[in-house]
Amino acid sequence: MQGTVSVTNLTKTFVSKDETVTAVDNVTMSTPPNKVLTLLGPSGCGKTTLLRCIAGLESPNSGEISIGGEVVWSGAKGVSLPPERRNIGMVFQSYAIWPHMTVFGNVAYPLEVRKVPKAKIEKKVKDILKLVQLSGFENRSATRLSGGQQQRVALARALVAEPDVILFDEPLSNLDAKLRESTRKELRLFLSDLSTSAIYVTHDQVEALTISDDVAIMRDGYIVERGTPQHIYLRSNNPFVVDFIGRANFLEAVIKSYEDENHAVVSCALGNIICSAPAGLAGGTSVTIYTRPESFEIVPSSSPAVENEFKGTVGNVLFAGEAHEVELKVDGVDVLAKMKLQTPLKRGDQVRLQIGREWCRALDPEKEEA
Amino acid sequence: MAKRRNFPLTALLIILVGALTVGPVLMLIIGSFSEGIGTVGKFTLEKYKSAYSDPTLMKTLSNTLIFTLGTASFSTILGALLAYLNVRTNMPFKGLFRILPIVPMMIPHVLFTAAWITLLNPTNGMFNVFLQNLFGLAKAPFNIYSLGGMVFLEGMLDLPVTYLVMSPAMHSFDTMLEEASRVSGASNAHTLRKITLPILKPSLLATFTLAIIRSLAAFAVPSMVGMPGRIHVLTTHVYRIISVGWSPDYGKAAAIGLIVLAAAITLVYFYRHLISEGSQYVTVTGKGYRPTIIELGRARYPVFAFSGLFFAFLVIIPLATLVYMSFLPYSMVPSARAFSMMNLRNWKTVLSNLIILRAFKNSAFLAVFGATITILLSIFVAYVIVKIKSKSSAFIESLSFLSFSFPGMIIGVGFMWFLVRTPLYATIWGLLVAYAGTYLPYGVRPLRSAFMQIDEELEESARVFGASFLRALRDIVIPLLAPGVISAWILTACMFIRELSVSVVLSRPGTEVLTVEIMKLANDGLWGQVAALGLIMIALSTSLVIAANLLRVPLSHAES
Repeated sequence: MQGTVSVTNLTKTFVSKDETVTAVDNVTMSTPPNKVLTLLGPSGCGKTTLLRCIAGLESPNSGEISIGGEVVWSGAKGVSLPPERRNIGMVFQSYAIWPHMTVFGNVAYPLEVRKVPKAKIEKKVKDILKLVQLSGFENRSATRLSGGQQQRVALARALVAEPDVILFDEPLSNLDAKLRESTRKELRLFLSDLSTSAIYVTHDQVEALTISDDVAIMRDGYIVERGTPQHIYLRSNNPFVVDFIGRANFLEAVIKSYEDENHAVVSCALGNIICSAPAGLAGGTSVTIYTRPESFEIVPSSSPAVENEFKGTVGNVLFAGEAHEVELKVDGVDVLAKMKLQTPLKRGDQVRLQIGREWCRALDPEKEEA
Repeated sequence: MAKRRNFPLTALLIILVGALTVGPVLMLIIGSFSEGIGTVGKFTLEKYKSAYSDPTLMKTLSNTLIFTLGTASFSTILGALLAYLNVRTNMPFKGLFRILPIVPMMIPHVLFTAAWITLLNPTNGMFNVFLQNLFGLAKAPFNIYSLGGMVFLEGMLDLPVTYLVMSPAMHSFDTMLEEASRVSGASNAHTLRKITLPILKPSLLATFTLAIIRSLAAFAVPSMVGMPGRIHVLTTHVYRIISVGWSPDYGKAAAIGLIVLAAAITLVYFYRHLISEGSQYVTVTGKGYRPTIIELGRARYPVFAFSGLFFAFLVIIPLATLVYMSFLPYSMVPSARAFSMMNLRNWKTVLSNLIILRAFKNSAFLAVFGATITILLSIFVAYVIVKIKSKSSAFIESLSFLSFSFPGMIIGVGFMWFLVRTPLYATIWGLLVAYAGTYLPYGVRPLRSAFMQIDEELEESARVFGASFLRALRDIVIPLLAPGVISAWILTACMFIRELSVSVVLSRPGTEVLTVEIMKLANDGLWGQVAALGLIMIALSTSLVIAANLLRVPLSHAES
């Protein structure tokens, strides 16, 4: 696998209190050049450890890491470059802005240690501060900045020396919700404009979906699934991924027949419906299908019958700000649906609903027990 | 309502605490302008003239400067290093570090100093003789009676405190700041120089200042090591004015003492400024990730041996030396002959000495009764500071912390001027009053934090559920406060057992205390008796510390 960062068969274990924990378990992956790859997973899945191994802040047990085509760590070849020789940039969770330096001092530091001439340092720092909209803050003490500004100083510092790759370790987790949203957008714009390679670690799925070109879902030290944000959210067949990303209704179903290679008719609580399914499952196979709450649509009572239509009884209707969360009873099974606020619904209503065949998917039974 | 009822308490405390802290300072100032201890009131500048025209003063000042700065540098660097090794590396046997802070409670300074003198004095220091025999040296390789020797001993004695002050700084250090430097392309050494040390600078400076304050007030090492070597610092200079020759000149002592006091107060003010929130670097800290522990790898055991060396210097070597010496008639290098000559004579001599037996009684009285009175006073002061938040309680707070900066020797002279005018002079009660005034901050501090831990709602909820004020006090406040009180009492009792610098000024025939008697025995070169008596003292303080452990009260060492 070729890419800006390539990781091959990497394993990292920790020993704590006589117990060995495998934080990174034989991971092989690479980042496409000039793209943002996000490592997403619940806490303790090994994403941060993997990132720190790439940075050189942790020492792996075995495997190989190369950055920009150069091997920086290899168990077999006995290569172990310290962080300072890996040509990387990093944005830390706490920003790690040095409190005893000014904004200029912080951003200029990577250039100073690289012995860049003074005049050039000044120009580059000026340019990069302009990019992150901190022009005029050069002489401000770095601790006298707001959270969002500190975050941008950290970004400028990571970018300034034009590293092969920038590593992000949950950089937005210290911001409050509102600021997190706007900074997320800003960061996405920066990263696509600059077209640098980046590896981004987060446990926040919305962050992962908006910021990345590519998402790798991690669990227990290995990568469960990798794909574009759209693929991960809409087309995953992996039960862990579906459960971890967003909310889903899971329904027991039985395969009846195939419509085409990727679509099967299944019988479930919603009746006989057509859904996306892994190819080649035998008729009669028990599967789990899932739907996202926001993918249901109301069928007007006057309308003729449509594909994948079913009837439900409205239970509790919760006002959740941006939408109504409606608990439906369908053939004795609970289904959660998110409905536009304009839709007039009240408890006890009988409604006709529809689910598009692309919006309900059968999970791969082979991955189910995981 | 509550305020009015508490008003007399606050006023009474201001008078009491004021008398104990401002009183001796005022008397010191008045005394410095007076003819003699009996004739307060006749204004004279003679004392200042004679004090500051003393030709030995310049040398004393330069010695003091070298001694304090040397000690502070040595103990700060070492304390920071040990704190770093404990917090940031995977050094083995870290349990050792837990005993470091309580070492000074168990081994009084006089005994630590005495043990090292018997090892490193140039005439018959056992370690010197051993090296001379081993390498056939004509001259002793070490001379403890030197500025270097003084800096070594005082630096070791300050080590537990510098370690304690540096530890939290190391704990709260966000290691991501260093990691950010590494990924920015800087080496380990560059990171240490440009990032780690500058960020630790405020803490290092505060620790250094505290070490200067302590060494400026030090008396055991300057008197036992400095005076025989004719190296005088300010405390011993004052001591000589009041103890050498036939007419002790308390006015001259006060005139010198005032500048020491001024210097100490300035330093404490500076120290409190340094540890205030505004001057420390506050950074956002990431949540979740554990601090990077530096894997020492093959260096683990050498690093342990390095830190273990200082534990040996501080505890094992002095204790072993004292035990060994206590059975010998005179100091000699361990040999078959030495062991065959061992006997209990030192122990018997010490325990049949009437003056020493009286000193025992006095020290025990001061420890038990003095600690009780000091803690009782501290409870009221802490209560007023924490629970009654008014202008006068803030005033009490600053009053009660005033003596934190007082060098015992100097404030002892102040108490001398104070007590001589009362019937307490030359009584054990006089010593008790002086102890309480000088060491009040050490009682108030732990109790203040104990009071702060008792959330008002705990007390209020008892009231809501039907308990009367007294009932709530008995059922809620007192049980929660008890561990803090016991801990503070034990700390204070230990401190009073090893008290030297106030006692050396105020102790008179009839009011002898153990530390002063040990110093006198040491001056006479009776090291075997020093050792025997010292071991009994160490056993006393150690049993108090063990009692604290059995009662499971946290011994937060309050000397920082």
